[in-house]
Amino acid sequence: MVFIAILVGCILGAIIGINAPIISYTYSSYLAIAIIAALDSVFGGIASVINKNFDLKIFISGFFGNAILAILLTILGQKLNVDIYLAAIVVFVWRMFSNLGIIRRYYVEKWSNKFKEFKEKKMNKKEA
Amino acid sequence: MNIEHFKKGGKILKKKGKITVTITIGIACLALSIVMFMQFKLVNETDITSIENMREEELRTELANWKEQYDEANEQYEQKSATLEEYKEKEESDAETENLVNEELANVNLILGKTDVEGEGITITLRDSSNDDGDALTITIDNLNTIINELKMAGAEAISVNEERIINMSDIASINDKSLILINGQRVISPYVIKAIGDSTYLESTLVGKGGSIDELEKLGYDVAVEKSNKITIYKYNKEINSKYMQ
Repeated sequence: MVFIAILVGCILGAIIGINAPIISYTYSSYLAIAIIAALDSVFGGIASVINKNFDLKIFISGFFGNAILAILLTILGQKLNVDIYLAAIVVFVWRMFSNLGIIRRYYVEKWSNKFKEFKEKKMNKKEA
Repeated sequence: MNIEHFKKGGKILKKKGKITVTITIGIACLALSIVMFMQFKLVNETDITSIENMREEELRTELANWKEQYDEANEQYEQKSATLEEYKEKEESDAETENLVNEELANVNLILGKTDVEGEGITITLRDSSNDDGDALTITIDNLNTIINELKMAGAEAISVNEERIINMSDIASINDKSLILINGQRVISPYVIKAIGDSTYLESTLVGKGGSIDELEKLGYDVAVEKSNKITIYKYNKEINSKYMQ
């Protein structure tokens, strides 16, 4: 159910994004960091759905808040001539991997359990 | 975390809540992919030219480099143009000096009588003649000398006799008992045309006025004519001026 929503959202977004007007190159670095932040939030959301502790408010606030904070940090970094956005990227990617790990583990367990059940059923049939 | 736990949790999660979550995540994905594709497009577009592909910092560095080079070139240009200005000034001053020297030379030549000169002055014509009594009235070297000296006194700047320029080293001599008059080594004969450049009125009045040599000659019955003119041409001294002993 969640994955259908993700798929539909991505496809629709791709169609809209391709047809959207081109924005100035100056803002591309802010946009990139916002994308990383949003991606992190989405992975976090999926992980929390799996963990059964999904909170809509936390998800939405995280989605926009992280993106905006990342953009602000990038701007600050440019003003201070320090590449702060690198730190933001490290954190986001770190969290993405950990969230991805949670998702991966859940599905691997789910499928391995299914496989085990299937095998047991086969064995039962044979025994029978 | 295992499947049992998930199933139990799924039952706890209300169906309505699940739909909301799904929609929310869908919308989030939608926004995310919109921005992502916009970025992809942007990056693709900027890939077209290498300059736009550069990061802002790289461009800045490049710009700084070019600025530096521009400054350097500008400095060099200024130096060169300053040098050029100097040379021009020098050339100008050289030209000025040359002009001055040329002017000086022209002036010296003018004074020396090495150039043809023009100007206001008088022409005196003297002829050998005879008076009513039949006596010959011959112009002598003394007459010429007197006239020339008087012209000089009256401020004549250039004098010639029968186109022989009188310069400072000119000789007026006579040989053969004064019957031959030589000026600059050239024989001159009557009529004697004396040309003088100077203040014509003053020259005339000096010569023709009372006590002047022409006045005296006229009184004696000599054939003398004096003519004022605004434009008299006196030709240059046509011999070499050499100095052998002067140092």
